Amino acid sequence: MRIPCPHCGERDYSEFRYGGDASKQRPAHGSGDIKAWHDFYFLFDNPKGPHAEYWQHVLGCRRWFVLTRNTATNEVGGPA
Amino acid sequence: MTRFHRRPEGGHIDRARQVSFTLNGRSYSGFAGDTLASALLANDVTLIGRSFKYHRPRGLVSAGVEEPNALFTLGSGARTEPNIPGTIVDLVDGLEARTQNAWPSVGFDLMAVNQLAAPLFQSGFYYKTFMGPAKGSWMFYEPFIRRAAGLGAATRAFDPDRYETRHQHCDVLVVGAGAAGLAAAISAGRSGARVFLAEQDALLGGGLLAEPAMESWRQARLAELQAMPNVQMATRCTAMGLYDDNLVVLVERRDHARPDASKGQPRQVSISLRAKAIVFATGAIERPLVFGDNDRPGIMLASAVRTYLNRFAIVPGRRAVVATNNDTAYPLAAELAAAGVAVMLVDSRPTTAAVAPGVNVLADSSVATVAGRGHIQQVTLSGAHRATFDCDVLAVSGGWSPTLHLTSHTGIKPRYDAAIAAFVPGGFAKTHFGAGAVMGTFGLRAAIIEGAKAGVEAAGAAGFATSDGAMTTIQGNDPTYAITVAPPVLSGKGKAFLDFQSDVTAKDVKIAHQEGYQSVEHLKRYTTLGMGTDQGKTSNVNALAAMSELRGMQIPAVGTTTFRPPYTGVAMGAIAGRGIGKHFRPTRLSPLHDWHRANGATFIEAGPWLRVYYYAWAGDTVATAYVKEMELVRRGVGLSDVSTLGKIDVQGPDAAEFLNRVYVNGFAKLPVGKARYGVMLNDDGVVLDDGTTTRISETQFYLTTTTAQAGEVMSWLEFLLQTQWRDLRVHVTSLTDEWAGMALAGPKSREALQLAFPGVDVSNHGLPYMGCLEFDYEGAQIRLLRLSFSGELAYEIHLPADYSIPLWEHILRVAAPLGIKPYGLEALASLRIEKGHVAGLELDHRNTLDDLGLGKMAAKEKPFVGKELRMRENLQAPDRWSLVGLELLEPGKSLRGGAILFAATDEIKGHGRGYITSVTWSVELQKTIALGLYQGGLKNVGAEIICAFPLKDEFVRARIVSPHFVDPKGERLNA
Amino acid sequence: MLERRSALAGTKEIASSRVRLGEVRGFTLTQVAALDDPVLSDIRAVLGDLPQHPFCGEKDGRRIFHTAPHQFWIVGPEADDIGRRLEGMAIVTGLSHSRTRIFVEGPAAPDVLAKVIEIDLHEAVFGPGMFAMTGLHHTPILLHRVTASRFEIYAMRTFAANAWDWLADAALEFV
Repeated sequence: MRIPCPHCGERDYSEFRYGGDASKQRPAHGSGDIKAWHDFYFLFDNPKGPHAEYWQHVLGCRRWFVLTRNTATNEVGGPA
Repeated sequence: MTRFHRRPEGGHIDRARQVSFTLNGRSYSGFAGDTLASALLANDVTLIGRSFKYHRPRGLVSAGVEEPNALFTLGSGARTEPNIPGTIVDLVDGLEARTQNAWPSVGFDLMAVNQLAAPLFQSGFYYKTFMGPAKGSWMFYEPFIRRAAGLGAATRAFDPDRYETRHQHCDVLVVGAGAAGLAAAISAGRSGARVFLAEQDALLGGGLLAEPAMESWRQARLAELQAMPNVQMATRCTAMGLYDDNLVVLVERRDHARPDASKGQPRQVSISLRAKAIVFATGAIERPLVFGDNDRPGIMLASAVRTYLNRFAIVPGRRAVVATNNDTAYPLAAELAAAGVAVMLVDSRPTTAAVAPGVNVLADSSVATVAGRGHIQQVTLSGAHRATFDCDVLAVSGGWSPTLHLTSHTGIKPRYDAAIAAFVPGGFAKTHFGAGAVMGTFGLRAAIIEGAKAGVEAAGAAGFATSDGAMTTIQGNDPTYAITVAPPVLSGKGKAFLDFQSDVTAKDVKIAHQEGYQSVEHLKRYTTLGMGTDQGKTSNVNALAAMSELRGMQIPAVGTTTFRPPYTGVAMGAIAGRGIGKHFRPTRLSPLHDWHRANGATFIEAGPWLRVYYYAWAGDTVATAYVKEMELVRRGVGLSDVSTLGKIDVQGPDAAEFLNRVYVNGFAKLPVGKARYGVMLNDDGVVLDDGTTTRISETQFYLTTTTAQAGEVMSWLEFLLQTQWRDLRVHVTSLTDEWAGMALAGPKSREALQLAFPGVDVSNHGLPYMGCLEFDYEGAQIRLLRLSFSGELAYEIHLPADYSIPLWEHILRVAAPLGIKPYGLEALASLRIEKGHVAGLELDHRNTLDDLGLGKMAAKEKPFVGKELRMRENLQAPDRWSLVGLELLEPGKSLRGGAILFAATDEIKGHGRGYITSVTWSVELQKTIALGLYQGGLKNVGAEIICAFPLKDEFVRARIVSPHFVDPKGERLNA
Repeated sequence: MLERRSALAGTKEIASSRVRLGEVRGFTLTQVAALDDPVLSDIRAVLGDLPQHPFCGEKDGRRIFHTAPHQFWIVGPEADDIGRRLEGMAIVTGLSHSRTRIFVEGPAAPDVLAKVIEIDLHEAVFGPGMFAMTGLHHTPILLHRVTASRFEIYAMRTFAANAWDWLADAALEFV
């Protein structure tokens, strides 16, 4: 799988670390109750198809970015 | 009488270079250009193995990677390599080959008695007998069955050869260098694209190598390719697998070049190739015909007989029968006749194709039975001509199966093409193209044209728009390819094999069908069909035909099994590459490492780090050394390397606010020049890490993490800043590699410091507990922190890494009168147990602040990461397992990390009420102590409990105490 | 004065007609980061035009690498005051000790690197003057192609010995 890093360009996925589901909004600092944080932290959809994800280019510029990856084909890009 | 002999001329072999080799210790010779298989055939060695289950005599079936029978063990000693098809082995001088699966010899095989017990070995036998109701029976029988029925045995010795991996990139990858592949590579190459042409064979040409009339065409194309600097041609280079985003893994074999590992020459190279576009020109594999005893030595694929005749100049005997259901065997019959062999061509179709002079042809006839055990002697036909013929070889063609393994690896299911009675690629990704036989295009002229077109298209897909697809091709039209597949005979005399290597017969398929294992995936697993090292390359379609017949369905409805990498066998070494031994994973070294190594350190792995376990001055074994090192710190002064701590530069106007958010305790008001111990949680309220962070200026902090969580914390801080709190004006940079750290600890540490830095005021006033001084010492920037991990008066000295060894040596030298010595990780970690400091063993991403006795640190007023989910009901439950100290009550016995804790009255069963995390001998208390987690924690202080370690049958009594064994009031570190 | 000691102090240069492997010592590595665009302008006032990834800028004896958005590495001579000149206007972090600089040079240099580095090293793709931050044996490096046949690797100091061993092993067949 190839991942386009917004700074370094397209690289092998082994240069990156996966950082979880980016489709949900993390509650703002100091806001949200247990329920809101619980739902954010523990409840996930498991879509077959496009999925917005956090990735970090750990062997490169160390930028975090949101990547849309098709979970069925590993095709990258396009809308989530 | 010989059955096979070498012609004096012709073929792609070099008669000037004779090559000697051995088979089972006996010497033979062949020529450069031979494979092991062709050399054996030229020596008239036709019986070369025994079959897997029934130990039937077997000979060569093919001339390529599809070979199911002719598997050899090559080499000896540590270089022993089993199960290698002789058809792909370059003949090199001194090659040692052994036949497999026969004892004591292939000619006289005691295990052939298995044939008498044949009913036992029908499909499903293993399942029913060994996986059945009698539990454990497979465990009992397996070793016996493996010994009797196994393939070759691998060596247990370390492989002395060298294997490498290589990364490559190209615009167009062409897989296969037959007619279509050569044409594709040329037309793609003309565009200027970087082309990689991969051919698994030692020679480029594929099927052309068995087409004498095409030799000049082949030579001309090779010359064209060689003139293109942008085309790289790789032989003995097999595309093993196709993965996401056009990653193709190829394995290149270099045995022929006699690689010398000591000179860094690899035996095999695993290439990870990224291609912008791919042309699959992988060809097709011929199928055998299914009839009784169709596995007798001397029965070979027609394409193989043709390859041995034309490429290796080996003529089969005097009489040959060619049996076919399609047109492609006809040229072979003509060539055999021209070579002086009496040929009978038997075609199962009612009408035959045109035949050459000298070939006798019988239409509407099929092979019914064969005679001859060690080698075929006679063929008896059924159908229109029920005659019997003597023969030395029976060449069979059951049609062709496109080699669509690679095209299927990404999950595209093949499509059945009834016109050619075979599966073809079911579709292609945008950057994938096919040409030639893999597409079911069996005519040479058509394959060349298709290849040239695919090359242009692939270059276009790679961004090279203008390319010339004009290709020198051949005159005349291709002969039409016509095939009529007769329904497979599922009963009758003799075993009719579908899968030679796994010994699966047509009858086995029938049994599988009767017992309900009808889907192809079930059929495969029930009968073991296609599960051998050849992965069913010759058997798949014939077996599907049999099952579809039984189920009364068409083949497409039955489907085919899934193709998975690798396409052919791969040496384990090629997968590992150089990532073996000390390079299995990267090793991380402290900037002080060279000093440690030169000064008696014993090292221990801690994650990627090599850390000092203990020093030789303190003892020969860790058990004695760490105690002496602990005593050094408790009574004098010691110096320890803590450079592995994670260190992070946090800078910016909002740096204090940022740290105030990520730590549970307050950092906003930390004064400049002061350090503070902090704990971070994950969003889920569980402890992520702890460490000490120092305020260098209003806008700059020096944050430290534990060694284990350094990378994790860094990524987490970056995540928060870059994705969640983009409004915070803060920048973080790892300083773990920039700064070295050393801990100076013990009652005499201040004296040592005064000796080391005479001009600096390190008095309790000048540098109080949790204070920080920054100064320049001999050109090096020093960050001196008064922190304590051991509980003693202690300091940490941080400085740029390149200066660390000189400074370390300086301190040891000037403080020598105080008795200063270095101490290692075991003592460091034990001192902190005495002090009751939690570390990695307790910070295991399962424990909360309260579990670790740190609940009071959590700020009430300010928000912090994890604050909300920390309050989850179960995380606040009163009986959670939480931190306790333990004292061993049975001197002479030992406590162990991981021991399960039980109340004194509990039955010793299950998960208990907690576990021990860390154990040490306490030099302070002169007894064994431990840290652990126990249900209800410190509410149980004073209770006697049982520490159970059932694996070693140890059950030891201990008492729950406060985890602060040493100086609970902190008088020493504040002194 | 304390004398600097490299992570590769114990290694010897490897040299053959096809490949040379050694260390470049005595440089200053300064990281400068801007929290917003106006700060970038301030930095430009000191450094001049800033190069854009993936091209290395060379000016006044310094090399400048655009290592992340709004972040640059300045590789200067052993005594370089550029960090002091930038302090106050941008976020400056001294990293001179954090990276070990290894050169791989000679006609076989690309072949050696192809064994250990995933990115495409073809001159048309990764030509002289370009750099990439990528991985070497699972660890991050900055790879700078100085000329067609000379590469410089900035490896993490604590992994430098590992990187050296890994490169030396890859170079073995050319030595």
